[in-house]
Amino acid sequence: MFWRTCRRCVSALLVAAILALGPLAAAQSGADAWTTYHGDYTGQRHSALTQIGPANVHQITLAWAFATGQPAQIKATPILANGVVYVTSPDHVWAVDARSGHQIWHYAYPANEGFHIGHRGVAVYKDSVFFTTPDAHLVALNANDGKVKWNVVIADAKKGYWSTNAPLLIRNHLLVGVAGDFDNLPGILTSVDPDTGRTQWVFYSTPPPGTPGSPSDGATGGQMWMTGTYDPQLNLVFVGTGNPTPVLNGPARAGDNRWTDSILAIDPDTGKLAWGFQATRHDTHDWDAAEVPVLVDGSFNGAPAKLVMQASRNGYFYVLDRTTGRSLLTKPFATANWATGIDQDGRPIPNPAKEPARDGRLVAPDESGGTNYRSPSFDPKSGLLLVSSHDAFGIYFFRPDHGAYGWAGADYGVFGKSALRAIDYRTGEIRWSHDLGEGASGAGVLTTESGLTFTGDTAGNVMALRTSDGATLWHSGIGRVGNSPITYLLDGRQYVLVGGGASLFAWALPESR
Amino acid sequence: MRKRVSNLAESAGAVLFVQLAAAGAIAAPQPPTAAQLQTGQRVFAAQCGFCHGRDAMGGETGPDLTKSPLVRDEAAGERLRAVVRDGRVDKGMPSFRLTDAELSAVVAFVRDQKTKAESPGARRSVSAADLQTGDAEAGRRYFNGAGRCAQCHSPGGDLAGLATRLQGLQLLQRMLYPSNGRGAKVAVDLPSGDTVRGALAYRDEFTIALTDDAGRYRSWPTSQVKFTVENPLEAHAEQLGKYTDDEMHNVLAYLQTLR
Repeated sequence: MFWRTCRRCVSALLVAAILALGPLAAAQSGADAWTTYHGDYTGQRHSALTQIGPANVHQITLAWAFATGQPAQIKATPILANGVVYVTSPDHVWAVDARSGHQIWHYAYPANEGFHIGHRGVAVYKDSVFFTTPDAHLVALNANDGKVKWNVVIADAKKGYWSTNAPLLIRNHLLVGVAGDFDNLPGILTSVDPDTGRTQWVFYSTPPPGTPGSPSDGATGGQMWMTGTYDPQLNLVFVGTGNPTPVLNGPARAGDNRWTDSILAIDPDTGKLAWGFQATRHDTHDWDAAEVPVLVDGSFNGAPAKLVMQASRNGYFYVLDRTTGRSLLTKPFATANWATGIDQDGRPIPNPAKEPARDGRLVAPDESGGTNYRSPSFDPKSGLLLVSSHDAFGIYFFRPDHGAYGWAGADYGVFGKSALRAIDYRTGEIRWSHDLGEGASGAGVLTTESGLTFTGDTAGNVMALRTSDGATLWHSGIGRVGNSPITYLLDGRQYVLVGGGASLFAWALPESR
Repeated sequence: MRKRVSNLAESAGAVLFVQLAAAGAIAAPQPPTAAQLQTGQRVFAAQCGFCHGRDAMGGETGPDLTKSPLVRDEAAGERLRAVVRDGRVDKGMPSFRLTDAELSAVVAFVRDQKTKAESPGARRSVSAADLQTGDAEAGRRYFNGAGRCAQCHSPGGDLAGLATRLQGLQLLQRMLYPSNGRGAKVAVDLPSGDTVRGALAYRDEFTIALTDDAGRYRSWPTSQVKFTVENPLEAHAEQLGKYTDDEMHNVLAYLQTLR
């Protein structure tokens, strides 16, 4: 199993870093931590914990709730280390006692003009908590009291960069992504020394100014704003890249626009690209392929295979060989009407008639996508990738005087509805689909070894489903779930943490007396 | 609740736009603070976003406020505040009970959104002239034929004079999915054997609710009742997967003839 391999390698690497905790702990039995955005390096968001299972999940009760008191919805994955939960919203970090939900400290970043669209969470290393800011800084806080250790600039906010990113720690590399598609900016991923804040390398997904030739066909963009995944054996980081800019103006950048909307494999020591696979060639609909590249050691066509899979914003599910980037499977998982077929490399072929036009084009998915930043979860037992999916149409406009800078066009969502889809990774078939209501759900997915799937609907319910068939076993109306749930074991009690509105809720079985 | 407000606001878009355009000018504004903008954004999203879009750049029923002459006129803050405070209830724009601080914050937020909208990389807008590529006669045939529009709508009935009320992008959006159009109805069969009917007020996997003829909100756990929802919008949602772009433009051209 892949996670077992990971655990061995990475434990050795990070054991000092995360104090007494196993770094990939959340994916193993006895897990008492969730120390990194995805819980472990695979991005499976699958926990080995079984205390809460299909037979007793209806009994879980609120252990505690923590209200941030801020207007922003919690979109962050909470991080749990040393009995402390760290959770964020733009400009804010809270350290909360994982047993009681009481606040230990609160850090507020100074007012700034960065883009406050959301925040995904922190990274932890030794006694530091790392936090990205709306004006694209990286701040190291003392984990004990929230005091600033250092603050470095990752990208120039004045040019239009911002950051929502939960950094990814690999040994002594802290990988920090940024965003920014209202301006024509090269896509950058920065590796920072977690002790000093010094930049180790910068990877460009689209060429920086002054690059000879134009490997991206004139496109900028391809921002890596979501946290990647990592295979220690291959020593490769897998990260999704965002849409090209100008966003809706296709003629200004005729060609595939590499490496926008791509899954990339990068060496974390050097920042060099090992391979790339483009989920959307020549995207003109804002379909970032930033979604989580989930790593699975499984079988494909009867042979063992090291896989990376992604349910992408363009509505297609991809399975690749992660050693080479070669496509194994491409299949839609949500409504998509923009492609005329699949090319020999496994990439959908964009229909030119669905490019934004003066009089408008009706396109599925809409801008928010067939899925988005909300994390999927992989259940190894059933071989299912659980994806919060969105069947939606939008209308897309572009005329030449919209220009070739930034958005360069207009688009409007028309109608959409959501469903949790269980995708069999070997075939791409949808094993079951559970309606989540009209609109787009912001909730990610967590699966557990006991056969439970936690997620949220579009109305404000958090729910537990049976992974094998999608049947609802428990729910609670807590306000719209905007993050991906996590779980951990503390003092022998399993907790499930999920954000509802601007509050964090901790669920557990009733305490035995 | 939302449905009722939306219905009120249905025809407000163009009206408010005109109203804002006609308004005059007064005091010079102070530069907003970040906290004020944040408050403005929160209040706007909660109170105004359902019509004008969360970003103030136009929503399902309300116009793009960043293009409003009143917002453009920096000295017109008081008039803008008056429109928000008093509403244009007869025209469909509700009045809003906001504190002075909230009002100022909303005005500051909308102005800030206008500045953002005019920055070089911002989203662009669509004019009615862009949308004139359809064939009205082909649209009429589609309306009465394959589009099945005539099953619910008639040019001399509910759609009479439509093009005088809605134009351009707003008309196209309403045509594709009129989320504030005829509401869904629900009939709930209670364990007692009674059936309660009303306008669908809320529905998720676990709760079904209606507003009855007396205006009363009533809800039930979905596990304890049987219910039937009749939602005319389902046909619009289904049609989205069937339209070709030409058919969409043709139907729009036809609707534009309904003056």
